[in-house]
Amino acid sequence: MRKRLLQALGVIAVILAVIALLRVAPAGSATQSAGKTAWGDPDLQGIWTDEYQTPLQRPAKYANKEAFTDEERAELDRQRAGILRRDQRVEIGSERDVAGAYNAVFQSIKHTGKRTSLIVDPPDGRLPALTPEAKQRADTDRQFRLALLQATQTCKDGDAACAGGKYGPPSPRRAEVPPFYNTGRLNRSDGPEDRSMTERCMAAVLPDFGGYRRIVQAPGTVSIFYDVGQGQGWQRIITLEQVAHPPSSIHQRFGDSRGHWEGNTLVVDVTNFSPKSDFMGARENLHLVERWTRTDAKTLEYAVTIEDTTTWTKPWTVKQEMSRQDEQANRIYYEPRCHEGNYGLPALLSGTRSEEADFAAGKGPDPATKDSATDFGTEGGVDALTGGG
Amino acid sequence: MARRSLIAAVVATAVVTALVSVSVTRLTGQSARPARAADGKPNISGVWQVNNEANWDLQGHDARPGAVTQRGIYPYAYAEVAGAPVLALGAAAIVPGSIGVVQGDKQIPYTAAAAAKKTENAAHWVDRDPELKCYLPGIPRATYMPYPFQIVQSTNKIQMIYTFSNAARTIHLDNVAGPPDDAWMGHSVGRWDGDTLVVDVTHFNDKTWLDRAGNFHSDALHVVERFTPISPDALRYEVTIEDPKVFTHPWTIAMPIYRRLEPDVQLLDFPCIDFTEEFMYGHLRKQQLVKHWEGDTIAVDIRRKVPPGEQLFDWYGK
Repeated sequence: MRKRLLQALGVIAVILAVIALLRVAPAGSATQSAGKTAWGDPDLQGIWTDEYQTPLQRPAKYANKEAFTDEERAELDRQRAGILRRDQRVEIGSERDVAGAYNAVFQSIKHTGKRTSLIVDPPDGRLPALTPEAKQRADTDRQFRLALLQATQTCKDGDAACAGGKYGPPSPRRAEVPPFYNTGRLNRSDGPEDRSMTERCMAAVLPDFGGYRRIVQAPGTVSIFYDVGQGQGWQRIITLEQVAHPPSSIHQRFGDSRGHWEGNTLVVDVTNFSPKSDFMGARENLHLVERWTRTDAKTLEYAVTIEDTTTWTKPWTVKQEMSRQDEQANRIYYEPRCHEGNYGLPALLSGTRSEEADFAAGKGPDPATKDSATDFGTEGGVDALTGGG
Repeated sequence: MARRSLIAAVVATAVVTALVSVSVTRLTGQSARPARAADGKPNISGVWQVNNEANWDLQGHDARPGAVTQRGIYPYAYAEVAGAPVLALGAAAIVPGSIGVVQGDKQIPYTAAAAAKKTENAAHWVDRDPELKCYLPGIPRATYMPYPFQIVQSTNKIQMIYTFSNAARTIHLDNVAGPPDDAWMGHSVGRWDGDTLVVDVTHFNDKTWLDRAGNFHSDALHVVERFTPISPDALRYEVTIEDPKVFTHPWTIAMPIYRRLEPDVQLLDFPCIDFTEEFMYGHLRKQQLVKHWEGDTIAVDIRRKVPPGEQLFDWYGK
């Protein structure tokens, strides 16, 4: 009797042990592509990018038109390839010319995409209206920037960059602290905070619709490295464990990401943003719901619903398709080492101190009359899709 | 009888196996964490951290009064006092002692010229250590900085993500071409040797340091790391460091790495780029925040309120 009990227990225990091992045993080839990871989760891994150019908002002339025909895409590609962009030189040595030092070599120009806007909701492909408080914030910010530009040639020329502003002597507002934590280029270089997040090597924001991502998964975790260009990038960790977001006193530049699987879709809720993060004017109140779906071996669909009741009157949604990039060649060089080689930022500050000294000594113009904020990029023609140079 | 013993042994083994795999999950307070990954390799995913003094100095050392010290009233090195940059921090700035993590004879086999440079580095720590500037920490230093890091273990890639500077690296278990340029974090190619993850790291630049004591390397650095589970919640981390331009022969460091067992542990922002802007660019401000920049030198002006003599008793008693 005892022997039979032992045998029965033994069988049960062996089965348990085998199950425990099998549960984690390889489910198939480790290199399976469009299917599941070895542990059974949808497999989103690899290097991904959106290979096509699609404007965030639908340009007015394509109103009521959701997608381009193949002929229209070909024609747009032809037009877009025909402009000089940043390679257009203007008067050599002028501010406008120097601003074009980052010439077209530094631009990635992509083929025209299928859709006329990344925004799929609202259905007109346009951003929803700003809330009154967001309009107020934007106006306050704009007025400060214009005040800092007002003594420049840009305003004297009535350039679009000075729209809403005026030309006149240096504004006393040049001595003010910016109305909000600054993330863009101010026409001032009193300290690093006056320069843009890009110049300070902190350009990346979430959500992000450009650049490359490398996704590596483990059970319970999806990690995404974002290469956002300019030697900048960041590493994201999405936990799939059912743990609440941290308390609202915790602020993260890229928010706090909690994900779960809904069928084959990774759904991620992102909160806890920092007041230093600035996505189109949305800061610590930003809330994202992302949906990542592998639609075939080569395609990863990304949809994100963007919400901030202090910024937009309703949530809006962006959708894009990313294509799998060659993994074997490891051709994407993704170490973000902008900060380690950032000679530009100290040079901007140092150069301005030098200009101030020259001005004080009567040997040069007032630095306030110079423009280090405007990106003159459209000398070589306007891109019909991006509206930029 | 023999058969009965065999059955008992099988039962015991199987029960223990089943229990261990259950208890590993339960004890950690996190969701199911099997001891093995789906491909049968040890499961090393999770948040980890060393608990040692290696980032201060890989070699054994006595405690000292601060990361920066100056001569006290005695001429002896052991009687130095805290230096100005850390003086105001009191005991919070003390550097803890350590038995060291260098294996074998505990010495780092510098060439004569490199040994002189190491000593010079230590004397100019504030000016030279890339950590102070928030630069990418390199390998192996990233592993033993005093902050958590996370391992995301997949089948063909293992991503290691470090709190410090939001640094990361991909360990390629599959065959990929090397990067087109040298890298701060190097290029990591891994393989499993039994239950040990062996990572071969090359393509380094010469800009990272190995610790805060001035230990350094050149662009000829070649690192071989070995991560071996010694329990569900600890790894042995052994690193062989080879660099013929700096060391006369390869040498090895070793230490445990511990799993962070808090159920809600996660890596949080360590925004050191903007936190170090004052350190790096403060002297270039129009109006300086640190008032005693003298050219490119910070003259540290410590303002700390110390009560007059008759109030010292209250101050000490607080």
